[in-house]
Amino acid sequence: MSAVKNSASGPKPARGPLGRLWHAIWADWDLMQLAISVLLVVAIGFAPLVIRSPYYLGILILAVLYGYVGISWNIVAGFAGQLLIAHIIFIALGAYTTVVLYTRFNIMPWIGIPASGVVAAGLGLVIALITLRYGLKADYFALFTIALMVALKTLFLKWEFVGAAVGMGLRLNEPSWEKMIFSTKEPYLYIGLALLLAGILVQFWIYRSKLGKYFLALREDEAAAAALGVNTSLYKTLALLIGSAMGGIGGGYYMMYVTFVEPPQVFDLGLNVELVLAAPIIGGLGSLLGPVLGALINKPLAELIRGTLTAGRSGTTLIVYGAFLVASILFMPRGITGLIQDGYLRLKRRLVPEREEEVRRDIA
Amino acid sequence: MQFDTFLQTLVNGLFIGGVYGLVSIGLTLIYGVMLILNFAHGEFMMLGMYVAFWAFTLGGLDPYVSVVIAAALIFLLGAAIQRGLIQRVLTAHPLNQIVLLLGVSTLLIGLVQFFWTADPRAIHVPYETEVIQVGFLRLSIPRMVAFFASLVTSVALYVFLQYTKTGKAIRAVSQNRDAALLMGIDVKYIYMLTFGLGAAVTAAAGVFLTPTFRILPTIGQSFSVTAFVVVVLGTMGNFIGAFVGGLIIGVVEVFAGYYLGGDVKIIASMTVFILVLLFRPAGLFGRKRA
Repeated sequence: MSAVKNSASGPKPARGPLGRLWHAIWADWDLMQLAISVLLVVAIGFAPLVIRSPYYLGILILAVLYGYVGISWNIVAGFAGQLLIAHIIFIALGAYTTVVLYTRFNIMPWIGIPASGVVAAGLGLVIALITLRYGLKADYFALFTIALMVALKTLFLKWEFVGAAVGMGLRLNEPSWEKMIFSTKEPYLYIGLALLLAGILVQFWIYRSKLGKYFLALREDEAAAAALGVNTSLYKTLALLIGSAMGGIGGGYYMMYVTFVEPPQVFDLGLNVELVLAAPIIGGLGSLLGPVLGALINKPLAELIRGTLTAGRSGTTLIVYGAFLVASILFMPRGITGLIQDGYLRLKRRLVPEREEEVRRDIA
Repeated sequence: MQFDTFLQTLVNGLFIGGVYGLVSIGLTLIYGVMLILNFAHGEFMMLGMYVAFWAFTLGGLDPYVSVVIAAALIFLLGAAIQRGLIQRVLTAHPLNQIVLLLGVSTLLIGLVQFFWTADPRAIHVPYETEVIQVGFLRLSIPRMVAFFASLVTSVALYVFLQYTKTGKAIRAVSQNRDAALLMGIDVKYIYMLTFGLGAAVTAAAGVFLTPTFRILPTIGQSFSVTAFVVVVLGTMGNFIGAFVGGLIIGVVEVFAGYYLGGDVKIIASMTVFILVLLFRPAGLFGRKRA
């Protein structure tokens, strides 16, 4: 009962467990974002009942993937404020790890995808150690990651073992659960949703934990955080490790879904914008709901515009994402989630004006 | 490697390096004045190349003539982008600045691809493959012209910055924004002007390359990366450092191309870049570690 009393949900006591749950969520914006994210996941889970067309299901699958990858970047860039611009390297490395394990060593993606996370985290750790050792910060760190992307692209273009310039693909002749190869789109969607849900929960847990507070401290003022005794090197490394591991796993799943990978396709700043940056920026960088909401809005919208207004001409998706990024930064730096939060706070204030009076009296 | 091959490779490297230098001067100028990394830098170059292409295809204008049109147009575009977009994020988190510029870059590439397709274009001028023989050196005319035109443009910009009142104002803003403001310099105007100038010289560099380079919507991206390498090498914000850095990277790339093959040469400049970032992040001309 005390939880209900403390919540800003008005004088009426809640009845029943559902009512109490609702009050707890309503009182807490973080929980509210979590609840909306989970509801969105559930709603997408039911989408195949309505959406039958493989084309639209494909868009939905990519939106789910973008949401998940967006979360992995949101933790590094949005929470910890690290200028990890070329996050795509982890997705690329994850994709390559999964396909190499599958085609060269016959290791199934159920093991290959987690292994991709480990490999990508290894690269994340190397990046963290190198950049921390030499004190690369801000702009220089951003440039370092981009240089690494270009260098890796060249390396993979020449490396015969990973298919060099030809790239690598999956043999699709025999669909089976074991190989994570399916003839229909639905299983891909549910695997993606499981990933997304895990991502949402991990992100929420980090945000609410002490770890998340340290990340935010890094983002807001690194020098001040260090002065207050926060081990900034440790938390930068942890942020990179978490982001790269999650990115690598996303890359493994991306591989299984698109079934083909080649260096210019994945080590690419254009794909980086579409796959990594767009969803969190448009949805609201640093928020919990941002990546999920952003991905579910921008991917379908970009495809819709490409399919209908411009008859599939090349360049349309780039225009849409570019315009989205520019507009988000200029007109809603807190993204769509920021707009929703403003609405939520206004509604809350209107519903419980007397509580606000009380709070004001308390502060005075 | 024979001495004549060595010299020939060196000259080829210096020729392309001069163009890198001009592109990097644009980038370093913008960074020096408003402390912003222009991630859309290569796109101004790409747009300059398209202006030259259309001037050549529709109006039959030689690229060495249309460079004036390209520079003027891209100057206006750059100034408009600075005033309309970048000015608003100058005090924002660096991530917001980078994302905005990546957005601009993506948007420009998308628009060019949309209207002019992703097909490679080329300008076929009569002197495309002409060479002059100096001793045992074979000097490609368009490459040589690109080098000297870049050099002249760079020197002109340098003289402008050193000796004109506006140039001095630009340098004043880059040295101390607040002091410049107090001295009555219109800092916002200087920002706009600087960004326009940086974009314009980059577009000019692109035009100088059109006789020998294929034109693609995404061609700017690789030049952006090269320019980042060069400005870090030559110390961010350092004008002469950018040109010298351009020459160095040009030579490194051409020699790497000679030894490793053309498509791997970028790994050499990336190696230089990563080494400089790690061991001398302030660059060759910086006094202390950044």
